[in-house]
Amino acid sequence: MSEEEKFDVIIIGAGPAGSSCAYTLAREGKSVLMIERGDTPGSKNVTGGRFYTYALEMLDSGLYEEAALERKVTHEQIMLLSGDRSISIDYHEPGFNTGGEAPMSYTILRANFDEWLAEKAEEMGAMLACGIRVEELIERDGKIVGVRAGEDEMYADVVVAADGVNSFMAQKAGLIKDIEAHTVGVGVKEVIELPARTIEERFNLKEGEGAARMILGCTEGIHGGGFLYTNQDSISLGCVFMPAKAAERGKTIHEIFQDFKMHPSIHPLLQGGLTVEYGAHLVSEAGYRGIPRKIYREGFLMVGDAAGFVINTGYSIRGIDLAMLSGIAAARAIIDAENTAEVGPQYLKELDEIKIIPAMKAADGFFDVLETPGLYDKMPNLANDVFNNLFTVDGGVPGSIKKDVMRLIKENGLSMWQLIKFGLKGVKSL
Amino acid sequence: MSYIIACYKWVVDEADIRINPDLSIDTKKSKGKISDYDKNAIEAAVQAANILGGKSLGLTFGGPETRLSLKDALSRGPAEGCWISTGEAAKADAAVTAKALAAAIQKISDVSLVFCAEGASDTYARQTAPRIGAILDWPVVTSVSKLDIEGSTLTAVRKLDDCLQTVKVDLPAVVSVLPEINDAPIPGLKAVLAAGKKPVTEIKAEELGIDFSPKTDVTEIKGYLMNRKNIILSEGEAADKVKELAAYLRKEGVL
Amino acid sequence: MAGIYIYSDKKDIVAELINFAKESEKEACVITFKQEDAEAIKDFGAEKIYVLKGSSQVPENYGKAVAELLKKQDADLFAVGATARGRDIAARTAGYLDCGMVSDVSSLSYREGTVISQRMMYGGTVIQSEELKGLCVVTVPAGKFEAAVGGETVEIITIDVEADSRVRLIETAPVLREGTDITAVDTVICVGQGLDKKEDLQLAQGLADVLGAEIGCTRGIAEERKWLPVERYIGISGAVIKPKLYISMGVSGQVQHVVGIRDSKVIVAVDLNEKAPIFRAADYGIVGNMYEIIPLLTEALKNA
Ligand SMILES: Cc1cc2nc3c(=O)[nH]c(=O)nc-3n(C[C@H](O)[C@H](O)[C@H](O)COP(=O)(O)OP(=O)(O)OC[C@H]3O[C@@H](n4cnc5c(N)ncnc54)[C@H](O)[C@@H]3O)c2cc1C
Ligand SMILES: Cc1cc2nc3c(=O)[nH]c(=O)nc-3n(C[C@H](O)[C@H](O)[C@H](O)COP(=O)(O)OP(=O)(O)OC[C@H]3O[C@@H](n4cnc5c(N)ncnc54)[C@H](O)[C@@H]3O)c2cc1C
Ligand SMILES: Nc1ncnc2c1ncn2[C@@H]1O[C@H](COP(=O)(O)O)[C@@H](O)[C@H]1O
Repeated sequence: MSEEEKFDVIIIGAGPAGSSCAYTLAREGKSVLMIERGDTPGSKNVTGGRFYTYALEMLDSGLYEEAALERKVTHEQIMLLSGDRSISIDYHEPGFNTGGEAPMSYTILRANFDEWLAEKAEEMGAMLACGIRVEELIERDGKIVGVRAGEDEMYADVVVAADGVNSFMAQKAGLIKDIEAHTVGVGVKEVIELPARTIEERFNLKEGEGAARMILGCTEGIHGGGFLYTNQDSISLGCVFMPAKAAERGKTIHEIFQDFKMHPSIHPLLQGGLTVEYGAHLVSEAGYRGIPRKIYREGFLMVGDAAGFVINTGYSIRGIDLAMLSGIAAARAIIDAENTAEVGPQYLKELDEIKIIPAMKAADGFFDVLETPGLYDKMPNLANDVFNNLFTVDGGVPGSIKKDVMRLIKENGLSMWQLIKFGLKGVKSL
Repeated sequence: MSYIIACYKWVVDEADIRINPDLSIDTKKSKGKISDYDKNAIEAAVQAANILGGKSLGLTFGGPETRLSLKDALSRGPAEGCWISTGEAAKADAAVTAKALAAAIQKISDVSLVFCAEGASDTYARQTAPRIGAILDWPVVTSVSKLDIEGSTLTAVRKLDDCLQTVKVDLPAVVSVLPEINDAPIPGLKAVLAAGKKPVTEIKAEELGIDFSPKTDVTEIKGYLMNRKNIILSEGEAADKVKELAAYLRKEGVL
Repeated sequence: MAGIYIYSDKKDIVAELINFAKESEKEACVITFKQEDAEAIKDFGAEKIYVLKGSSQVPENYGKAVAELLKKQDADLFAVGATARGRDIAARTAGYLDCGMVSDVSSLSYREGTVISQRMMYGGTVIQSEELKGLCVVTVPAGKFEAAVGGETVEIITIDVEADSRVRLIETAPVLREGTDITAVDTVICVGQGLDKKEDLQLAQGLADVLGAEIGCTRGIAEERKWLPVERYIGISGAVIKPKLYISMGVSGQVQHVVGIRDSKVIVAVDLNEKAPIFRAADYGIVGNMYEIIPLLTEALKNA
């Protein structure tokens, strides 16, 4: 094989994981090729849209200042829907999210963010080939030594799979099987354009500031939840479901999403907007236990979603920041390792050091909490019932609140015992 | 070694153009692309260069955003790229465009064949090739659906409204090709990587010494609004949807 | 002598452009390249008819000669029929004159030395208005003006000119039109590249038979796959139709195609992809597989 056709590292996928890895490697003088199947990085990627900037700080200090970010999140919101009712909680603290050196969290649009980040990696000297889908890994003497796309083969010391959830490359490497339905959800999302002023008015925001909202009770009882993020001049609205359950309900995901959009507490927020983007994507739900048993082979590493690095707590999904950290960890391992055999074990150490594995372990309990029966319909309904009870004044003698609540719990098909168990699980997971 | 040039234009993707309620147009969110049929012109130049033993070159005239086009264009096969860069391109009409391209072709000097596509996706004016020919006073062959090159003679089949015409011409010449001339391949990994390493010349507009003032005065640009009922039956059984549609059509009285 | 100079390889367009010159209160001067072409139009009502006589049989090769004539005669405007030949000769002439040119105008008027025109851009997404002063060139599609009613026979002026002899004509093979004119029928069934194979045109034919319709298609079906003759393709580079009913199957509805059906009374689309732009251009649509929908629809409309 000629010099021309060999790189130090080939990275498959120019999402946040791939680009962070490429950036770090190229900065240290490694020859890096990043291959992306989309026509531009991010063009096909679907995400909710919240990003924690500490990950960019870790990549390079000050980088976040020029990043393609939308609004700084200053309003953290939770919304419980039931029927045509809703309860909203808005946590707003004027000083919140100012951070020390780097602010904490921004909304983003992936088409812009991914393209920007990949460009940064290119500026560092990484090569980027877009519009190319990697189809095969090339294996020699038990090692992964390159990739094949169409007719073309390209070689490298290390191939990094940054190709996202349900990694096709990891399957090819024999490190994961095809997806198991109960560990991945399906996310659907629309981007709805509205003038910046309208968004600020509707969400009570200052210029440049934004809201991040998690929504429960919008999935017809199916394990899952909704999200709403305010971008500069658009709103990202979506929800995540367990697909098998949706099928049991005899409703398409699209239909459930349409109903969600029409909810009387959601629809006015979107009114007059123009849907400019619609996408669906898988999202890993299993957290720590969703990480494959092996995330490397000689000559091969998995990063980001490909390695299952997503923390889903129900009130937030963290994938982009973990993807970036794992990309950095992989790059560090490749830079430090003496030979290809050492890269994998070194990568595990770096993951620990960069705190991904510990963070994921700590959040593991959420998986059980989120499996709680009733969480996605009965509980939001109960909460709304309680509020209904609280605010109803009809001239009669008010009953004991405690008794009313007990009655409502029962009416919702829940028991006190279930709620206590849920509470305990919740506390345990914290 | 002589050059075989493909002129290609970097255009706004018409599918991304938004029309505001007041019919003004918004191209802010539009991505650029190589004008669709220019991919066939590029492929024609690459093939011709192989036959003639010359060097294929992609030539484009456009503003700063056109820089993005070079990697894409070169991944489609040309050995070199050349970009006439000027902000003036945004208001160039066909007269200015052809003058700029012709001046660049003269500057490149050793050129045996120039390809354009039938028409660009934005203007679809179908002027550029004949105009370049006139400015250079070279022979022109338009609407070419088939091409053979032997020695320095080109035989082309032209597709006209009422006939197919076979013509012969000695090089140098300017040729505009129809999209059916070839299948423009989708670039592979190696082609994309090679594109990054190919030489690109940037010609500053001032170097060409031509007048960039357009001959046409654009007085209004407005979007076309399609006003239709948009009753789309997407859910349910096929038979029910068909029944529903048939009922609508009966009501419309168009059967 | 000033005036509007006219060329088209289609006699109908010559008659229309003569009328345009008259409406503009200018002399209509027609340019031809063969004596018999001049004879054929001598009573169309033009003020002058020129034959530019030279050695080439290819009209496009006279671009330079035309440019010289226009300059010498101090012409106001060169109006050319928008056909493949016409566009070529018009643009070459404009190139030699270094003057402005508007291609394929959708509307055109000439007032006080100014050409006011509109044309489509971006495949028909946008309409652009332009003004040109001084000698310039336009190409005009058929049907933009009423044909001139005719007039006295005028003298034909023959000028010997030099033609570009470098492009040599070897052979001409006429393309036989098969007679049906999809611009003239009430119902059109349009097939697109969603069709898997040529035999499946039967599917469209079945529906067409029931509705007494003709079959049209998108450009790719005619030009690339060659499953139907080119005069059957609809769009900015093909036919522009105005039927009462247009039904598409497997047509994505890119603007270049849709431009050709905008004046239809009712537009119906069947496509697998609910995001296909054709649905935005349609009155009624069914999202579904045409291989399932079209037979059902054919059946349902049998007794209509
Ligand atoms: C609906 C939804 C909402 C979410 N919300 C959030 C949120 O608010 N905050 C958050 O932090 N995370 C969120 N996530 C998770 C987050 O999007 C992912 O964790 C993150 O995108 C992972 O990054 P990645 O680089 O590993 O993979 P991806 O972003 O998936 O990138 C993979 C890249 O590889 C490319 N690729 C794939 N296969 C090939 C191939 N064979 N050849 C070449 N290229 C290939 C793809 O085109 C893509 O560009 C959400 C996810 C979903 C689905
Ligand atoms: C300068 C220029 C001029 C052009 N001029 C013209 C013109 O005059 N006329 C013209 O037509 N085009 C023209 N084009 C091309 C035009 O842009 C489109 O590429 C073309 O119209 C697409 O043809 P299509 O819809 O048949 O094919 P596609 O775009 O490939 O669409 C095929 C459709 O079939 C659907 N489909 C597939 N299988 C099935 C199934 N089983 N059942 C139902 N649906 C199915 C798909 O969902 C898709 O929407 C021009 C382009 C340019 C750049
Ligand atoms: N700005 C430009 N740069 C390079 N080539 C061009 C440019 N404009 C037009 N062309 C070429 O001329 C062809 C016809 O363009 P037009 O005459 O505008 O329809 C295009 O398909 C290109 O091949």
